[in-house]
Amino acid sequence: MKPYDLSLYSKAVVAILPLSIAIIPWGVLTGALAMQAGLSLVQAQCLSLLVFAGAAQLSGISMMATGVPLVSIYGSTAVISARHLLYSIVFRSHVEQLSLPKRLAVAFVLTDEMFAVSEAHTKRTGAFSLPFALVSGFTFYLVWNLSTLMGILIGNRFGNLESLGLDFAIVATFVAMTFDQLKRVPEVVAVIVSGLSAVLLKPYLSESYIILATLIGMSTGYALSVVGPDKKHHETKVEPEINSEEM
Amino acid sequence: MVWLTIFGMACITYINRFVFLANGIKYKPGDRLKRFLSFSSLAVLTAIWAPIVFVADERLPIAIAGWDYLIATVVAIALSLARFHSLLVVLLSAGLFFTVRLYL
Repeated sequence: MKPYDLSLYSKAVVAILPLSIAIIPWGVLTGALAMQAGLSLVQAQCLSLLVFAGAAQLSGISMMATGVPLVSIYGSTAVISARHLLYSIVFRSHVEQLSLPKRLAVAFVLTDEMFAVSEAHTKRTGAFSLPFALVSGFTFYLVWNLSTLMGILIGNRFGNLESLGLDFAIVATFVAMTFDQLKRVPEVVAVIVSGLSAVLLKPYLSESYIILATLIGMSTGYALSVVGPDKKHHETKVEPEINSEEM
Repeated sequence: MVWLTIFGMACITYINRFVFLANGIKYKPGDRLKRFLSFSSLAVLTAIWAPIVFVADERLPIAIAGWDYLIATVVAIALSLARFHSLLVVLLSAGLFFTVRLYL
């Protein structure tokens, strides 16, 4: 076995490339907003270096700017990041035999994006690959932090990024990652229910709507997969088949 | 204070990511839990993007953020269902988005 599998590493980079490109405007926004909120350059960069979670960072920054108490900031962070618990549960079966340093490293870069890309690879090849997860994870980490740095340096010259419509990059990317996986009714319903729940819950539960809508969508999808007409044929897979994420 | 916030947020986020990867936890997820979790990626990504395009409204239950968002999203969905590579889906739909935005 080769000590350094360059072909695997480049596949990992390519797999996370679309998401990395899409995340650039978000990173720039996060860096710029941190500066506007009054953080120093080092503090703003450390948010991305240490927290490495876009939604949590953006919420945290706006709360710091408005003087929200620390306890509330921590509570919101916990709720917004709660979906990572799901990723941790799924990854457990992949990494439980590995040494502690490897598990610590994988956990550090376990984002929505690395999770999706790694699970796609695992499905396609039939086995989890730690190098694939780490390379895609740290590539994303690098792009996120470089984008944050750009935002910090450019500062407030961008004004309101959302009015430029750069949030559409996230829409396009997540649509691209989910719609090619829809093969059966439970999956389609999970998507519709999750999307609908998120839209309807957001005005009332602006911090927890993501995790709540996710759980509602997952429960609906699961329930249909258990009682539906093709339940005999539904194998218990950790992730649905993905065939277009890899080149 | 800011540093306390940053380090606290980092710890909380990391704990959420690491807790089930820790050896001390004697917990083996069964088949039903794994099937339930198999919907997690589809559900969470949709829960994040949907409110960007669709907005809850008082008069109609759901409004759209704009025709540029709606048209480009529909195109992205169509391209994705047609199994285009994800980078192409992003570039084409984003390109359409900004084009529509410019002319509407």
